Amino acid sequence: MESLDEHFNLEDESESSDDSSRNRHKSKLPLASPLCAETKFESGFQKTGRICLEHIREAMLHHKWQEAAEYMASYTQMLEDRKRRSTSKELVWRLSIEILHHLSNSTVKDYNIIYERMKHSGVKDYLTICLEHSFHLMLHGQIEEAKQQLSVAESWRYGKESISQHQRVKLIQAYRSLLDYMIWCDKKYTLTKNNSIESDNQGMQTLFRQASVNFKELLRNPGVWDPFVLSYVEMLEFYEDYEEALNVLNDYAYDNSFPPNPNAHVYIYQFLKRHNASEKKLVKVLKNLHLLVPSHELMLEYSFLLLQSERTSDFRKAFAVLLDMLDFACWRSNLDVWKSLQDAIHQLLSQNEGQMIIQDYMALRKDWWPKLHFTRSHAKKDSEENAKLLEVKASLAEILCPGRALRYTAEPLPT
Amino acid sequence: MDHQFPPRLFPSFYNRGPPEQLPRGRSGGWGAYGGVSAQGGSGPLSSWTFTSRRRVDGEVWRQTEPLPVPLLSPRKAFQEYLTPPDPMDFLSHLQNFFIDDGLDAFRCTSEVLGENFYFKKAKKKEKYRQGSVNMWRTKSYIDLLKYKPCPVSNPSRSLERFSSHMSDVVHDVPLELLGSLLYEELTEQRERMQFSERSTGGALAYVPFSQSEGCLLYPGGLGMDRLHFHKVALQNSCMDASSSEPVSFQLKAPIRQISCGSVLGDCCVAVRSDYHCGVWRFGERKQPCLLQVVDAEAAATCVSVSPHVLGEVLVVSESGAANLWTVGRGLQKVRTEESNLYFNAKSPWRWCEFSAHPRVMVYADRTGAELTDFRAKASGAHHTLFRISSTSDCRSGERLLLCRYLGDVNAFHHLVATQAPPLFCHVASASDRGMGETTKVLLGSHSSQEITLLQYSGGRLEACSSRGAPQALLRPSDSLTHLPVQIPHRQQAAAQRLASPAAGLTCFQKKGGAEDFSLCVLQLTEVGDIFYQILERRPPAEDKSGAPEAQTSEQLQVSNPARHGDIITAAPETPDRIVCLDSSTEGAEDERGTRKQLPVAFNDEPGLDAEVCGGEEVDRSSCWEAPLTISSSTAETWKLWLQKLRLTGQNQNPEAVRPQNFVVQTAGLLQAADRDAGGELDEPLRREMKGCMRRRSLLLNDSASIKVPLTVPALVNAEAWTDALSDRLTAAWRGEEEWQAWWRDQLGTNRKMKADALRRKRRMQKEARRAEGRRFQLSGSFTSSVSYQTDLDDPFESTGWSSAVSQGTLSDEEGGAVLESEEDRTLPVTATPDPIRTTTPQKYTPSRPRPLPPTQPNTPQTPRANQRSWRPQDDFLSSVWGTQDAPPQSEEPPQSEEPPQSEEPPPLPSSWFPSSQSGSLRPSLGSLPSSQASQSQRGPSQASQPKRKKSRMGF
Repeated sequence: MESLDEHFNLEDESESSDDSSRNRHKSKLPLASPLCAETKFESGFQKTGRICLEHIREAMLHHKWQEAAEYMASYTQMLEDRKRRSTSKELVWRLSIEILHHLSNSTVKDYNIIYERMKHSGVKDYLTICLEHSFHLMLHGQIEEAKQQLSVAESWRYGKESISQHQRVKLIQAYRSLLDYMIWCDKKYTLTKNNSIESDNQGMQTLFRQASVNFKELLRNPGVWDPFVLSYVEMLEFYEDYEEALNVLNDYAYDNSFPPNPNAHVYIYQFLKRHNASEKKLVKVLKNLHLLVPSHELMLEYSFLLLQSERTSDFRKAFAVLLDMLDFACWRSNLDVWKSLQDAIHQLLSQNEGQMIIQDYMALRKDWWPKLHFTRSHAKKDSEENAKLLEVKASLAEILCPGRALRYTAEPLPT
Repeated sequence: MDHQFPPRLFPSFYNRGPPEQLPRGRSGGWGAYGGVSAQGGSGPLSSWTFTSRRRVDGEVWRQTEPLPVPLLSPRKAFQEYLTPPDPMDFLSHLQNFFIDDGLDAFRCTSEVLGENFYFKKAKKKEKYRQGSVNMWRTKSYIDLLKYKPCPVSNPSRSLERFSSHMSDVVHDVPLELLGSLLYEELTEQRERMQFSERSTGGALAYVPFSQSEGCLLYPGGLGMDRLHFHKVALQNSCMDASSSEPVSFQLKAPIRQISCGSVLGDCCVAVRSDYHCGVWRFGERKQPCLLQVVDAEAAATCVSVSPHVLGEVLVVSESGAANLWTVGRGLQKVRTEESNLYFNAKSPWRWCEFSAHPRVMVYADRTGAELTDFRAKASGAHHTLFRISSTSDCRSGERLLLCRYLGDVNAFHHLVATQAPPLFCHVASASDRGMGETTKVLLGSHSSQEITLLQYSGGRLEACSSRGAPQALLRPSDSLTHLPVQIPHRQQAAAQRLASPAAGLTCFQKKGGAEDFSLCVLQLTEVGDIFYQILERRPPAEDKSGAPEAQTSEQLQVSNPARHGDIITAAPETPDRIVCLDSSTEGAEDERGTRKQLPVAFNDEPGLDAEVCGGEEVDRSSCWEAPLTISSSTAETWKLWLQKLRLTGQNQNPEAVRPQNFVVQTAGLLQAADRDAGGELDEPLRREMKGCMRRRSLLLNDSASIKVPLTVPALVNAEAWTDALSDRLTAAWRGEEEWQAWWRDQLGTNRKMKADALRRKRRMQKEARRAEGRRFQLSGSFTSSVSYQTDLDDPFESTGWSSAVSQGTLSDEEGGAVLESEEDRTLPVTATPDPIRTTTPQKYTPSRPRPLPPTQPNTPQTPRANQRSWRPQDDFLSSVWGTQDAPPQSEEPPQSEEPPQSEEPPPLPSSWFPSSQSGSLRPSLGSLPSSQASQSQRGPSQASQPKRKKSRMGF
């Protein structure tokens, strides 16, 4: 991707792209600076490095990994350039790792050498590289080594904590806690298997305490923490601290500083279901989820729950939920939804104001629902794929869109 | 199954606020995992599996050809300049404007002033123009301006005076205004060329009908204002567009974007040009028909066809208004935004896309994208989909460039591109949503023509993760390096054509069998050329997953032959098909040394033509790279394409509009003198010569060529050259004595002796006459003097006379031919010091009368007249060169009396040459009696001289 802007970006080289007025030929559209750009004053060494980097990038973009590796062997000399060591260091470790990924003869040792050398050749990227190194170890099944890496990084301190450094420290702690949780799960597994050993319980407690401190700390920061939340809640549930678990889930779902995340509501719903909460509570959670994601697959359950109650307002809600679902492309030919809609309409029509309610909801959709669901092409497609669906839909067509000459019929079409 | 949401997403911080100012890592996503997520956990620790956000493994694709292939033959097109105009160069643009469109620039003032200016070259003005200013000198100066004369050495004072008097009134449009407007225009043009946001989205679309057939929609015509619907088919790794003629529609303006949407087999196409949008409808069996056209008040920036309801189109314009256009019913305004969404990006660019809900759209500008519900009348019902902020890892200055709804892949996926300038995007969804298959995203840039292939997977049961490394696809501008080199200017023209910016991108997938996947990527350039490249996927069986260290370095693998189901034949005679790497585990330097070529096996496909398609390499798996050589059919296609390009390019000659410079006439330059005579004769000789060169042997005289008469230059008629130098040289060829005698004669040292001799002779004649008792007329004395000369055989006197005469009449010019050609055409004397002049074409020889006897007084005219007749007087250069190869003129056929070839003229003092020409000798010669009579004597005297001029060729 970086290469795409190379052509365009040659003259957008001022460090701060905002003071564009001085730049005579400045484009109206400021873009990120390219991977390797020529600068005004560069020594021959730097020029060589830049050209070498261009070759590496070209080779990598064309997936010529062997060639890239050969250039990369030379490019490492750029680390001797004092002025741009931090830039070239990041490039060296990232590009080297990428090349190693795609060389068939790369070994774990190669990876370790790169990670360790780059990690210790400066302070700026130490935490990032540690994190990436541990990811690499995790992906290759070396969980113990990964945990060791993260522990070392956790205790590493240098200077004042910048924001990004702070976030990286938090991530390192969280991932270490995730590994703690895994070891905890392992111990739990052996515990349930052997059913007797007491000594491991102590170890599990320690792991739980260590992890919970970090998780708790992390969950105060806005972000997406699905794996961590799930791990934390599972451990809390194991130790039967349900209240805390629900608190954690509620905080995660209803804190407005967090980005909207459907999973947060799903986790609460699953938690409540596990603990046999009342339907009312479940409906409340699903109502919130409906506001956020009207097309979510739990909406089918939501409509079931609403239809099970005996109140008209709930039928109406169920009807609205199902109509919303059918707006979306992914539910349009789903038989379950159409059947539920059929149920809801029957329930509504048995009430006094049923017809009115249906018309109210359909008023917003009357000019595009016929085209969306009830054309002759739809009928043809449904009859080929799902005859039952055709039947259900055809029965509802007239109720939903009265007065429209719909060509969607259950009768076999003249061909 | 699109309603499934990944049960757990990758962890990440959520940072609100503007993006970071600090320059961060610039290596993109290379080499980073970006976060992991764990699955499993019911069993022991080893049962856990991790997935990273950026996964290393992806599908491996490679091109079947090392260069993209043109789909259509090149058409004539208007091509913009490749280098953007420099706004500071507006002076020269103004100059061009004044010269090219003088009427527009100066009409009013010129009509007023025209009555008072008089441009004809005339000494006397016509009567009614008595009060006007004579301008012919100025006009001639202006006429010279097209030759770009030196302004310093070549001023025109009157013009300067006029300009200082009238420069502020002479322009119709005030110069300040015109200059600033032009500057603005050039700036805008430059920006548009660097980043053409109006062509965002791309004007190329493909609608598949079946697995390998479909309809290609593209703009054509000189102004890209013709919409083509063209049925194409993919056959045997090449695209075929020749099966049917395209259906085309002429539009009013260039096509910027083509958007396609199909609902259950019916296809709707929306086309955007700057101020018009149109919608067509077509299907596999339906001819395309135009449904409706709307005009936009402000320039439309986006058009987007609904994937849900047929005939619904979103149109957004630079005014910020988004309209839902229900075809047949008209526009309905759904959103208006005066300013940018999140901060002031000073950009009127807007974009709209549908989303999974038919009544919710994505409204985007440079700062971000919002979801807007049409139904909600309240303005607050917008949800941020994306914004430039620090949580999306944006950097300061980064902007949203492209937004795409990926409904074909996943009903809830949107692509938002910021990092680089991609203007075109196409997504090929995972076919059967099977395991391991990835979604391919193609991003195309504008001016650099780059296409990048990215892959991602997930979105349903697992979180989305990017797969593999980004891959750059082939660019048309790089293809000339793979083709045979052409003549430089053709190469340049082709390179220029191929380098024109991209204008669209599309692709489609073909699945032939269980393991036969191919991806055809099509790219449109701004001149209307379409190039395609076909990528094939390495069969998944070969995909190396798992720990890389499991492989040994020396392992060789034969690629799966079952892919084509044919026999593998070892073909060691084609070792250059694919070069393989035999890499060692040592350092990179060692690997280069151990590269070697391996025997190649290729599929012997009986059904195919001569084209060797997709050579299978015996290969390490890491070597799944594009082949290095072009298949014969592709080479043929390119050859034809380049030939046709040459034909289309002949008519539009950009050189013609350039100002003409002084041109050297090349007619007759370096021509063989007598082609019709010598051509056939030379031919066998030439052939033999070439043969000898090829054999590297010597061309010997005893070869057959000896029968060919070698064309020896004919003898030179010495009389034709009557100037001092020629005479002296003639004398010099006769020997040193004559030469010295000539000098004595010239310098007058022997005057006394000659006068004595003359006197003695006269006396003898008188005595004889007296003896005869007859009287002579005056003219008789001349003939007698001639006879005296011939009798005496003394050339000094005659040459001495002639030189005196020639110098006197020609008034001491040297290099006389130039002047002669310009002024002295009436003069019969050709006094030229140029030895080349001593030759004249042979063709005059047969008809040439022999020199008249010396008794006729007008004989000297003959050779001069001849000389003039063969020399084009108006062109010095051609006269010089045209006669160079010509056989020398001779009055008579070559005689046996050959001049002494070895004889060299005596060394001359270097100071002599100019002095003899410049007339420093004149004072001494001036004292000689010079008369017309003596001049007439000279010719005959020379005519009697032996023909020795051939030896002069030595000079």
